[in-house]
Amino acid sequence: MHIPDGYLSPQTYVVLDIAIIPIWVVAARKVKKSLKTKQIPLMALGAAFAFIIMMFNVPVIGGSTGHAIGGTLIAIILGPWAACISISVALVIQALVFGDGGITALGANCLNMAVILPFVGFYLYRLLSGDGPSASRRTMSAGVAAYVAIVAAAVCAGIEFGIQPYIAHTAGGHALYAPYPLRVAVPAMALEYLLFFGWVEAIVTMGVVRVLARSDAALLAAKPAAKPLRWLWAGLGVLVVLVPLGALAPGTGWGEWSGGQVKSMVGYMPGNFEKLGALWKAAMPGYLTPGMSNDLLGYLIAGIVGVLLCAGIAWGLAAVLGRRSNGAAEASGRPTVPPPAA
Amino acid sequence: MSFPALNCQGDIAPAAPGRRRRRRSLARRTADSLNRAISEVFENEELAGRPGLLQRLDARVKLASILLLAVTASLVHSVWTLLLLVCAGPALAAASQASAASFARKVWSSAGLLALLLALPSATAYITPGKVLVPLGAVSLTEPGLMGAATLVLRVVAASGFCLLVIWTMRWTELLHALSALRLPGVIVATLAMAHKQILTLLRTVEQTHLARESRLVSPGTTREERAWVTERMAFVVRKSLKTADDVYDAMLARGYSGPVRTLVRLRTTPRDWTWLTLCAVGCAALVLVDRLLLAR
Amino acid sequence: MSPDFELEGVCLDYRSGIRALDSIRLTINPGEQVAVVGANGSGKSTLLKIIDGLAFPTSGSVKAFGAPLTEDALEDLAFRREFRSRVGFVFQEADVQLFCSNARDELAFGPLQLGLDEAEVERRVNDVATQLRIDKLLDRPPYSLSGGEKKRLAIGSVLTMESRVLLLDEPSSGLDPRSQVWLLGVLETWKKEGRTAVIATHDLSAAAESADRMVVLSEDHVVVADGPPEEVLAQHELLLEVNLIHEHAHRHSSVTHTHSHAH
Repeated sequence: MHIPDGYLSPQTYVVLDIAIIPIWVVAARKVKKSLKTKQIPLMALGAAFAFIIMMFNVPVIGGSTGHAIGGTLIAIILGPWAACISISVALVIQALVFGDGGITALGANCLNMAVILPFVGFYLYRLLSGDGPSASRRTMSAGVAAYVAIVAAAVCAGIEFGIQPYIAHTAGGHALYAPYPLRVAVPAMALEYLLFFGWVEAIVTMGVVRVLARSDAALLAAKPAAKPLRWLWAGLGVLVVLVPLGALAPGTGWGEWSGGQVKSMVGYMPGNFEKLGALWKAAMPGYLTPGMSNDLLGYLIAGIVGVLLCAGIAWGLAAVLGRRSNGAAEASGRPTVPPPAA
Repeated sequence: MSFPALNCQGDIAPAAPGRRRRRRSLARRTADSLNRAISEVFENEELAGRPGLLQRLDARVKLASILLLAVTASLVHSVWTLLLLVCAGPALAAASQASAASFARKVWSSAGLLALLLALPSATAYITPGKVLVPLGAVSLTEPGLMGAATLVLRVVAASGFCLLVIWTMRWTELLHALSALRLPGVIVATLAMAHKQILTLLRTVEQTHLARESRLVSPGTTREERAWVTERMAFVVRKSLKTADDVYDAMLARGYSGPVRTLVRLRTTPRDWTWLTLCAVGCAALVLVDRLLLAR
Repeated sequence: MSPDFELEGVCLDYRSGIRALDSIRLTINPGEQVAVVGANGSGKSTLLKIIDGLAFPTSGSVKAFGAPLTEDALEDLAFRREFRSRVGFVFQEADVQLFCSNARDELAFGPLQLGLDEAEVERRVNDVATQLRIDKLLDRPPYSLSGGEKKRLAIGSVLTMESRVLLLDEPSSGLDPRSQVWLLGVLETWKKEGRTAVIATHDLSAAAESADRMVVLSEDHVVVADGPPEEVLAQHELLLEVNLIHEHAHRHSSVTHTHSHAH
């Protein structure tokens, strides 16, 4: 999944290179808090084994072999934030020393493999393995989590590729960067991972977890969230998955009519409707992704983007407010509330 | 003390020539690729130590100028300006006492080939409709399609070439100094440095484990057995790494480490560095301008 | 019967052009115990890997048991099977070759691969475990064993194959004194059994005791001596030159002794 240089437009890679920095800053802070002075050797060794795991040839079926990334595995062992740092360091060294993956594309690669992959994998593992799990449950959860996580990362990479034709193309119509539109890039990446590399990832994660469960079970203990919170997350997850059902509903929601719809309903367009309607040009008007001919896929992507934005903002607010209240609490001696734990 | 009896006396029948099941084992293939990775690191360090044009520049200037070139490659759109950038790579390599031919070969055979394979289907009418140049029915090659494919391939080759220049002309310690001087936090630089060393050590160890398997491989195992072996070895790597982290940490503590990492970085720029940087910046700006003019025509 | 191994003009260059072995001419006869000695970096381990078909020379030829040993030859499954079952390699770092989940499986791995029936495998495993004093450790995982136990397990995993030729890379490194003495005993027994052994070591005294023949590799990766240990060890000047011994001076009050000293 290492994206080389030249495929992504500056509009994409600059944004992602900048976007990854706050994530690194937060990860570094969390790692420093939990590991303190041991962070350097542990992160360095984490990066080393992340690197090496990517070099193993894993037999899949017949005589075919593939490479795994091991992001979920590393997240299970080190925790998602430490995994983010370790995998990022490994990716930087791969780009700057071994020529694997681009340098300008580091932001994108780190987002896919050092953020999406470990976080999705870790939280899914935690959700599925519950508390006090048997070795076989751990193994199965790890396998499923790894499979889903890497497909998610692949879809992200597919989106990064797929939006290029919309961002930049000449008047003549030819693509300037990665030439495949979303309707080709996303399914291609998703299928590649659903059918092959996802299995490699699952095989590797399950295999190693099984071995470690016998010898160092303590390594694999991912503390589950408090019970009520867990069901809340599960519930949210179900709702997110049900989003596509919205595509089945005909018509427009009550009160959400556009100017034209109002006109056709009552015969005229009230006052400043037109002026105000043109005031804000939405990025994804009508819950559709601009330029996508396939409405359903566009709707899904708009939904995903929306969920991520909301979740991100909510989490950010919680972190900031939590710290503020902690600061005030520390100053006045009250017991503090820990900010959202990893 | 008596030991198991001997078997297999006498000579061995030579390997059957010609038609035979040619199959290097998984262990051998992986050992070879690991070996190659390690050798390349040493070769690149040697290249980066030669007194060539780029090697003699200050580390920060070198990194900045090469990145500038890579960014320019992502800004220009005309096939002609891209071609110029594609040629700039081997030219700079030659000026840095490396072989332009092997530079070009390396870039084209890896990044270039992949880009070509990826781009070709996009040149068909199905993906990029337009004026047909090579009629092949449903997968006819169109003019905008071929232009897009050519643009992509040239851009990827140019950009990858500049990345290769970083690898070929910057020693690892130099790179760390440049990153540190560019205000990267000391913790990150220290982690990168240690990770690099540990990676090389681990590469060697894992190569040995693959050779050890090769030496005990009487007949190729089933896929399941091979998989079990691979995952077991990965678990070994995990355990070993964590143990090494503990050991390294103890060693660091014993040497007085208590937190912040301080490194001695003495980077000094000379007039030559600034000349180069200015030339580069002006050249890239001019190239982008020319590119826009070419496209406006 | 042909010699077990015949190396003629073998050179090995790394990709960077650095030479690892230079014009090696070596013949190993059946039943011989050969000690390959040299300073660190002289190429001892590389020589052993060439003999085991794990590395291949850039020029020169290698023959094993009368047949050419090349990368192509080892891709022939029948040849590979025959070759690998005759030659066992014990690596310097035991960890590198121990990969089964417990010691018993480790010992059983080789013979099971050869297709032997379970009763025979069982017998071999128990025999070897008893001989090597690891029979109490059979159900333990390899990583829980001490350095010496791991070394013995590594040697055992090769012994159960009943290989005729054993290649040992620095077998005494990391072993406590008692285990080192035990190792010498093992080598003696192998000699009586008629096994061929090639041992890479920089431990001159151990080599002198057990080996029939000593081959010296210089720091230039060339064979500079090849003969019975007493003869080779008598070449004082040569040994100094190849950095296997050094002049060691110590004082007894006012008198300074100088004599050669090896580690």
